[in-house]
Amino acid sequence: MHPLLARPARLLLVLTLAALSGLPLAWILRLLSPRPWFAALAFAVPLTVFYSFIVLSAWWVCRRNPIRGEQAAHAVAMQLGAALQATAVWTALGAFWGVALQRWLYASGLSRAALLQDLVVLFVAGIPLYLVSAVAHYLYLAFEASHAAERRMLESQVGAREAELRALRAQLNPHFLFNSLNSINALVGSDPEGARRMCAGLGDFLRRTLALGARDSVTLGEELTLVERYLDIEQLRFGDRLRVVQAVEPGAAECWVPPLLLQPLVENAIKHGIQDCVAGGVIRIEAKRVGDALRVAVENPVDPDAPVRRGEGVGLENVRRRLEVFGARESQLTASREGELFRVSLTLPAVQAPAGASHA
Amino acid sequence: MPERLRVLLVDDEAPARSLLREYLGAHAGVEVVGECANGFEAVKAIAEQKPDLVFLDVQMPKLDGFEVLELVAAEPGAPAVIFCTAYDEYALRAFEVHAVDYLLKPFGRDRLAESLGRARDRLAMAAARTQDAPPAAATNGAALAATARGEGRFAERIVVRDGAQVHVIPTDQVDYVEAQDDYVAVHASGRSHLKHQTLAELAEALDPERFVRIHRSFLVNVDRIARVDLLAKDQRVVILRDGKQLPVSRSGHDRLREQWS
Repeated sequence: MHPLLARPARLLLVLTLAALSGLPLAWILRLLSPRPWFAALAFAVPLTVFYSFIVLSAWWVCRRNPIRGEQAAHAVAMQLGAALQATAVWTALGAFWGVALQRWLYASGLSRAALLQDLVVLFVAGIPLYLVSAVAHYLYLAFEASHAAERRMLESQVGAREAELRALRAQLNPHFLFNSLNSINALVGSDPEGARRMCAGLGDFLRRTLALGARDSVTLGEELTLVERYLDIEQLRFGDRLRVVQAVEPGAAECWVPPLLLQPLVENAIKHGIQDCVAGGVIRIEAKRVGDALRVAVENPVDPDAPVRRGEGVGLENVRRRLEVFGARESQLTASREGELFRVSLTLPAVQAPAGASHA
Repeated sequence: MPERLRVLLVDDEAPARSLLREYLGAHAGVEVVGECANGFEAVKAIAEQKPDLVFLDVQMPKLDGFEVLELVAAEPGAPAVIFCTAYDEYALRAFEVHAVDYLLKPFGRDRLAESLGRARDRLAMAAARTQDAPPAAATNGAALAATARGEGRFAERIVVRDGAQVHVIPTDQVDYVEAQDDYVAVHASGRSHLKHQTLAELAEALDPERFVRIHRSFLVNVDRIARVDLLAKDQRVVILRDGKQLPVSRSGHDRLREQWS
């Protein structure tokens, strides 16, 4: 819908302006071949009102033919063609209306030559009028586009901050802490040395989380180290039930990724996979470079008879959003379940960190 | 009050069980009769060992703690239950299902001793009543399951106990449910499972968009209905996809029509 036609008040404004622009047209026609004001206005005003609608149709032509790079010449040609068509339609209607007025309403006694002259005026005036409208529409569209771009940028900035906050909060999941403290509590009695190691491991994990979370991007290697620390802690809770296989191909560990991207996926793999399986299973972490892309995948077993858990998908959604914010269009996350295996795959643009950056 | 307290430990994490065992070791008269690492084992052990008290984790493989409680609560001689969880949100619900107490991980010796004291009191009270006194845990498994599910949610699976064996039936596999005295027979995938529950209770737990009470004694999965036949005036039967015929009452037919309109 044309923005000027979308509301009754605007439509009324368009009609008024179009009717008023009938005045100068009538004035010009009177100058060329004298006739009463009444006759001139009766001819000109309905025609300008009609033409205003034709001229507004430039909106759709403008939208379909944006002036951009190579398409600019094409767009100009399209607009000139549209201008000719518009004025042709207008002139034809002018001829019909002129004859109709003479025959049935008011015989002003104009000669055939004078009527032809009127039509030439319409035809000549119609082209610039249409083109002015097209330019105005292009300006309006450009204004609107820059407005929308600005809004999108603001939205994505807010979205990025939100996602970061949420990632950090999810990272410091209190239940993970509670369960870990309970495990340490158990170790204190049976294996004091192990309890000390757990305390140190938990401290190391938390410190790394805070350090990585404060940065804009980290290397996959750093993220994998964080995941290893996390798994060390969970290993104590789950024992033999938790088995981990890592397949990281050369070149992958040096690529940039958003911080705290992988750990939530591994946490999900435990929460919705290992924890539900009586005998546990293998969490498989893969990373490889394929051309310009970095592919990372986390796979875990699922028990089809597992009790229903709530809040699934929230973690995945968060990872997806952070991926969007980080890697523009090429990034994607897919989650799939095949039989009793659940797999989350990430694709990011592979950007290699300079040597030594990973321990900065 | 039993001189000796027979206790079962249920938690899928070995450190959590060993912590309980260590703490309980300091209490005279407490005997740990077993440890279970998942819900199935727990139901079986409770049936076989008849413990007085169960320390029950909430999040476990196969059956969660609330489902275990639902399956064992209605039995005579059902044990007293103390929930152990890292999740505060389960703590409140633990009380609503008449658990003796809950232990929020991590917890210390004193907190455990306090819970143990409460359990002894509860068991002593139950023993002081007549033989057929209600068990220490909640009697109403359905109310319990509803509480565990949380407000406004429908069951996605039905847990049924058959002796020491437990069947978990996803609700989308259920064809229909038939009332049989104090039991319901859940027909799913060509088998029938008896559960100690009323049809009204089960109907309340299931999504009314998917399960319609077509008769006083029948609840049907609407996805399984092939057609409805009119036998005589006001006398209809539902024909399921597998050919099974179920009677439809007049109000049941109204409910079906409402569902399909």
